[in-house]
Amino acid sequence: MKNKRQRIIGLLLGLFIATSIQAQTPSDAVMMGSRMLCVLFDYNQGRFDQYWEGPNLRENQTIATVRSTTVLGMAAIGISNNLNVYVGLPHITTESSTPNGGKFAGVSAFQDFTLAVKYKAYQKDFENGQLRILGTIGFSAPSTNYLADYRPYAIGNGAPELTYRGIFQFKHNNGMYARLAGTYIWRGYSEAEREYYYNNGSYYTTWMDVPNAVTVEGVLGSWFMDNALQVELSYLSSTSLSGDDIRAYNAAQPTNKVNWGRVGALAHYYIKSVEGLGFVAYYNQNVSGRNAPKMSTMGVGITYFFNFLKPKS
Amino acid sequence: MINKLRIIAILGLFAALTACDKDLPTFLPYESIEFSTLDSDGGTWTPVLLADGSDILIPAPEDISSAAYQAELAEVEMEISGMSESERASVNYWTNNSAIRWNEIALELIAKYNLIPGPNDDGSYTLPNPGNPDGPPPFPFAHPPYAVRALAYMSVAQFDGLISAWHYKFTYNRPAAFKQSNSIEYAYQDNNIPSYPSEGAVIAEASRRVLTAMFPLEADYLQEKADEHTRSLLLSGGYVSSDIEAGQQIGQEVATLALARASQDGMSKAQTPKPVSDSIANSAMERYGWQWINQELPRRPVGLTPFYGKVQMWSVADVADTRVPPPPSLTSQEYLDDIELLKYYADNMTEEWRRIANFWQDGLGTYTPPGHWNDIANRYLVQYKLNPLRTARMYAYLNMAMMDGGISCWDSKYYYHYPRPIQQIPGFETIAGTPNFPSYTSGHSVFSAAAAEILSEIFPQEASKFRGWAEEAAISRVYGGIHWSFDATVGTAQGRDVASYTITRMRNDGSN
Repeated sequence: MKNKRQRIIGLLLGLFIATSIQAQTPSDAVMMGSRMLCVLFDYNQGRFDQYWEGPNLRENQTIATVRSTTVLGMAAIGISNNLNVYVGLPHITTESSTPNGGKFAGVSAFQDFTLAVKYKAYQKDFENGQLRILGTIGFSAPSTNYLADYRPYAIGNGAPELTYRGIFQFKHNNGMYARLAGTYIWRGYSEAEREYYYNNGSYYTTWMDVPNAVTVEGVLGSWFMDNALQVELSYLSSTSLSGDDIRAYNAAQPTNKVNWGRVGALAHYYIKSVEGLGFVAYYNQNVSGRNAPKMSTMGVGITYFFNFLKPKS
Repeated sequence: MINKLRIIAILGLFAALTACDKDLPTFLPYESIEFSTLDSDGGTWTPVLLADGSDILIPAPEDISSAAYQAELAEVEMEISGMSESERASVNYWTNNSAIRWNEIALELIAKYNLIPGPNDDGSYTLPNPGNPDGPPPFPFAHPPYAVRALAYMSVAQFDGLISAWHYKFTYNRPAAFKQSNSIEYAYQDNNIPSYPSEGAVIAEASRRVLTAMFPLEADYLQEKADEHTRSLLLSGGYVSSDIEAGQQIGQEVATLALARASQDGMSKAQTPKPVSDSIANSAMERYGWQWINQELPRRPVGLTPFYGKVQMWSVADVADTRVPPPPSLTSQEYLDDIELLKYYADNMTEEWRRIANFWQDGLGTYTPPGHWNDIANRYLVQYKLNPLRTARMYAYLNMAMMDGGISCWDSKYYYHYPRPIQQIPGFETIAGTPNFPSYTSGHSVFSAAAAEILSEIFPQEASKFRGWAEEAAISRVYGGIHWSFDATVGTAQGRDVASYTITRMRNDGSN
């Protein structure tokens, strides 16, 4: 029972951590049983004082250090043993440190509503472990009229997204596991509040084409302390399939080709005394990029799991 | 089976969504136009730089019965019969009112070059240098004063060139190529405009030359566009080579005139050295007890083009005639009220104010406010089916009035040297970028009011719309947090006043 609970929470983590960065869908390989519900609250702070303008890493005193604070609520619901549904909505606040040369106002608003479905397509037990293959389809769209064309303070792309993900995981009986996931992200248009923009040429429209992207993620993890502690190391890269570069000393815009590579570490601890309650902490750092912030993110969260159809005894 | 269906459904959804080919407009879509007027007396209108439409001399055309003309006609027949698909698309793109396309090319280059140079590693700034256009930073920085000037010179050259073309068209009355040969089908609406010289060739050559001077790194790109345009003229079936060559000659000569004026209009001295800039600021400090100071990090030592106010105007003899009264003193109630107003907008920002601030922002990396008004004008000249001569007239007066407005505005900006809100209100933050020049008056307000007046003169049915937009553009800067409300209201009045000089000229140019 405990293992299952932990898996559900781990699965949620995969979702929210990704969401806090770029609204992805669940990336881990665990499935939750039917009639199970897990809720999660997460708080994280991201910051960057350098970014890649095209391929060149630079600083910019106009924006100084940009900070973003995200508060996220999310729930995972077990529809059946092979089908889970996720919903989530982050609230994001952005601002520059002072002093800065631009004196721009930050933004504070709810970002994109996410709905995702995960389906377990294949599972095979071996002598020393288990292989799983899963697929995820996710949809997200802005929940408010935040302006995406206000970089670097914009809280998102302002465009609907569809994500298609394949996940492969092998878990050894000793608690170690390795996971590989690949995602194709289709992104729609983002509406700006101007009727002209430059994207390697003139565009006479308010609509901006947000490039589609592909992500690849590799994870190594393990369970410790009699399955009370889970630790993960990850590498995640995202590559836009089209788009323009940020121009010299100019603001970014939603049409940009945004690429980044990120390393991350995560620990999740389950309280023995309160059933269903866990705490999580994580750190992510962008290590490479193009038209992307060199963002570092620290976050903490609380996870709570229960059977939503059974009255508590 | 169910699993299979599910997979097919998912794949189908995937295909449907990824097949959306995200086509977005990169130019104004319009078909060839049946013009609302012909203006056969257009050759008698008063030009801007030329003394008269007959000033530029071109050879008399060969008679259509001559062997030379018949050979040219045969060339047109042959070229059309071998026309490729991409050439056909090009003929459709350039249409029979091609000044719009050159205006769009100018807007594109403005947006491409409207990038403010960033600081060097040691905190200093390097200015774009026309003597070394490759940079870094590349030349030019196409900020609004630069942009409106480029548009004005291109438009004036087009206008004078077409007055000259109209003079010869209706002197020689050479019928168009397609009227001489049954095997030539004209690609556009027949407007019964004589073909010698080709108005499109005037536009292509005049625009290419002026824009090449304004954007020297784009010489090859502009030549490519001019070649494509010129070829489309031949392939349209409306012109033979000698029509096109005569048009190119006129284009060459008016461009030379325009660029001669540009080289001596004072723009090359507009970006002053720091000691001059400091003394301008000190004068305001002595006169009024305030001065604008750049708030960027690292601080820019000189504001944008302090002497743009000394650039030669088109329709105003002395810029001081259009200088506005002084702004409120920093102890006046009007000023203190404005601080509260700006704080109120910032603290209670609505989606509507934000939309207006962004819609008219036209900031770095865009086609600038004068470019926005050209974009707006393009839609109306298509809607009202202006002929090429009337189109060039509209562009010329629109951009001359906006350039005069910019010069007048810059004169007031650096004469009064009034501080921006972020300099005066501690901790104040904006949703628009604060530009690198003094606050009073607002450039957006002056450009927009001047543009609205000219467009209202040309399209009186739409006047209330244009004037409403100009006022919205003005207040947008206050919503954006980068201008005082009096920068906007006084700037709007200033733009109207400056435009009145152009309108006097328009009413007396022989076109009415």
